[in-house]
Amino acid sequence: MGNVAIARGIVEAGCHVVTSYPGTPSSEIIPAVVQFKKELGLNTYIEWSANEKVAFDNALAASLTGKRAAVAMKQVGLNVASDSLMSSAYTGVIGGMVIISCDDPGPLSSQTEQDSRFFAMFAKVPVYDPSTPQEAKEMVKEAFALSEEYQIPVILRPTIKVSHAKQSVKTSPVKVIDRQADFKKDPERWAATPRYRFVLHKKLNEALKNIQEKFEGDSRWNYEVGNSRDVPLGIITCSVSFVALLDILEELHLKKAIDILKIGTPFPLPQKRVAEFIERHKNVLVIEETDSVIESQIIDKSKVLGRLTGHIPLQGDLTPDVIYDILASVLKELGIADLDVSGDGKLYQLIESLDIHARRPTLCAGCPERAAFFAIKKALPKAIYSSDIGCYTLGLNLKAVDTVLDMGAGITLASGFYHAYHQDKNDIPIVATMGDSTFFHSGTASLLSAVYNNARFILVILDNEITAMTGMQPTPGLGITADGSEGKKIYLEELIKACGVKWIETIDPYDVQNLIKLLKEARKYTQKSDGGIAVIVARHPCLIRYPDVCGENPVRVEITSDCDGCRYCVDYFECPALYLSEEKDRVEIDRNFCVDCGVCIHACPKGAIVPVEK
Amino acid sequence: MFSSKVFSELGLKLGLDVMGSETHGMSQRGGSVIAHLKLGKFQSPVIRTGTADILYSFEENETYRALKFLRRGGVCFVNLEDPGRFDPKVLNHLKKSGVTFRSFDASGAALRIGSIMSTNIVLIGYSVGTGLVPFKHEDLRNVLESVSQKKNLEINLKAFEIGVREGKP
Repeated sequence: MGNVAIARGIVEAGCHVVTSYPGTPSSEIIPAVVQFKKELGLNTYIEWSANEKVAFDNALAASLTGKRAAVAMKQVGLNVASDSLMSSAYTGVIGGMVIISCDDPGPLSSQTEQDSRFFAMFAKVPVYDPSTPQEAKEMVKEAFALSEEYQIPVILRPTIKVSHAKQSVKTSPVKVIDRQADFKKDPERWAATPRYRFVLHKKLNEALKNIQEKFEGDSRWNYEVGNSRDVPLGIITCSVSFVALLDILEELHLKKAIDILKIGTPFPLPQKRVAEFIERHKNVLVIEETDSVIESQIIDKSKVLGRLTGHIPLQGDLTPDVIYDILASVLKELGIADLDVSGDGKLYQLIESLDIHARRPTLCAGCPERAAFFAIKKALPKAIYSSDIGCYTLGLNLKAVDTVLDMGAGITLASGFYHAYHQDKNDIPIVATMGDSTFFHSGTASLLSAVYNNARFILVILDNEITAMTGMQPTPGLGITADGSEGKKIYLEELIKACGVKWIETIDPYDVQNLIKLLKEARKYTQKSDGGIAVIVARHPCLIRYPDVCGENPVRVEITSDCDGCRYCVDYFECPALYLSEEKDRVEIDRNFCVDCGVCIHACPKGAIVPVEK
Repeated sequence: MFSSKVFSELGLKLGLDVMGSETHGMSQRGGSVIAHLKLGKFQSPVIRTGTADILYSFEENETYRALKFLRRGGVCFVNLEDPGRFDPKVLNHLKKSGVTFRSFDASGAALRIGSIMSTNIVLIGYSVGTGLVPFKHEDLRNVLESVSQKKNLEINLKAFEIGVREGKP
């Protein structure tokens, strides 16, 4: 897997410190580094940090002591760490510092399709853009060397199709670099005031110029495929688009008709090489994902076709099918070739006519978050529900989620909604939901600011004692660190109290009736003259991570003849274990999914779901 | 995803280059999972529409959506509880495209040995039994032995052999 190859690159480069906050498609990097550390007996320091900025700063500090450091995150995580990125580009680094920011064109599991290479341009740091797992591994090592040579942080930008690609990868020996932490004080650099920042900016620009020069002469990551003489079309491409294109050209026997310039270092762009390639071709097409980073930098665009000329889709990932269609239309437009229409149109029509519903993701059977959402919806059906990033985003299906903006916004939007209505003297119920990991990530500043500014709403923290969505990484609440060793446990209730909240209750959301009662009390507290923000910690472990927990007190249910097939439970409780049997016109239980949580007993308005008599 | 691991290992064992990709953003929460795998000399991990040789599908609706990847003359193996339910118009069209369509109630067979999770292995066994795929019984068995977790090994081998038996003409 690409992320394992990246982890291998990190250890082969002799990296001393690796930090991260989980997020698709980057989450597998840290566990793979942990695995290599254990297998090879390395002394690597590895941490899951509370958020991406925390991870970035921890890695940066290690670099300032002369050690090699890597920080991994998903692309929107770089937004969180961007403050540090921008500033560290100016101050620079000592030991090699590599930032791995995994992009998600599509997007498959993200809020945006943002292109991390723009962040590299914005911050003015170099970026490597791998096409395959093997190349990603090699680029990581080169990135460390470049970072050390020019004392600058360097970004590696794998897209999801590199991070999650499988490939047989050739490994190299692991380097052990013996370096003792040795921070050399230099306040003009590490604590630069604006006057010195100007000087640092000038130095950064000089370094970038030198790096660009280096990339011009580099043929390892920037190279041509093709014979380069009298070829009607040249294509400049990068990342996974490059390899997809190679397979397509091979399949269509078009290799001789098209030249390719593969760019592995999109910023700073080797301008001379690009200009020279364009000069040699009558027409040039730029295919890159996710956005137009290379294309925008090209100085003379008169011969260039690409996203800016409307030849490449503005959104979505460039699958081989999309690339084929781009190629077909450009070759036709230029009168070079007439390719067959891609795909079997008749088959598409037939499948279309079947009107198959897309499989929508849903919370697992027995998920405690479903129980909490169901209670929230019952207790306060007219509330505004601000929510957040995690499995519980799927509370959407239960119509108990109205907003999902970014990490932490469940609380901040609730606060903002309160003030916007309160200003008009309107009192409306607001229920914010947020997972434990998200609360540790960016909940505290949001919550204490809301308390300080007299906001009033209910916050339900869905504490399943794990970062579930991204693959079960430990949280500070668990007190176990990335490599499984013991850390200090952070108690949610203490943290909430320290944010100034005066009304805190903890409950198991499986206890639906009492949770409903508690939510109503919480609502009253938000309306009292001396009231404020009420926080409920709804604590029940994640069933995927802790499958045995539910097995302890099973509540096996059955459906009685009172079921009239009204669909209420199917539509508003949406447990994968409940389905409407069309033959019997009533709801049945799929025992392959049912975990005997018994929560659905509360979901049937007719009382037709009952515990099995023992 | 386990199926994809099995075929990757098989490819490596046979000395072929292996490339592939998986989409599993929200898969654990019931979203769809598609794994692409290429054995041999390829550059890109993703399969283009109309170019796959073999399709394994473990769910009916997912089958309809994934059929587009198969090439003319390709072969597909589909887990279907009730083989009669598959859309006849689609079947007819596949026949015209030279696609060999084989369906089998792999879930049912897996359930009978008490392991619905082994549906994928039953279907893989089934494909080997039919003789329509270029994978050897012995090779796949060896791969299963090397990639299965210890606690699942026995049931996996059992599921595989049941599939092979059912697939035989």
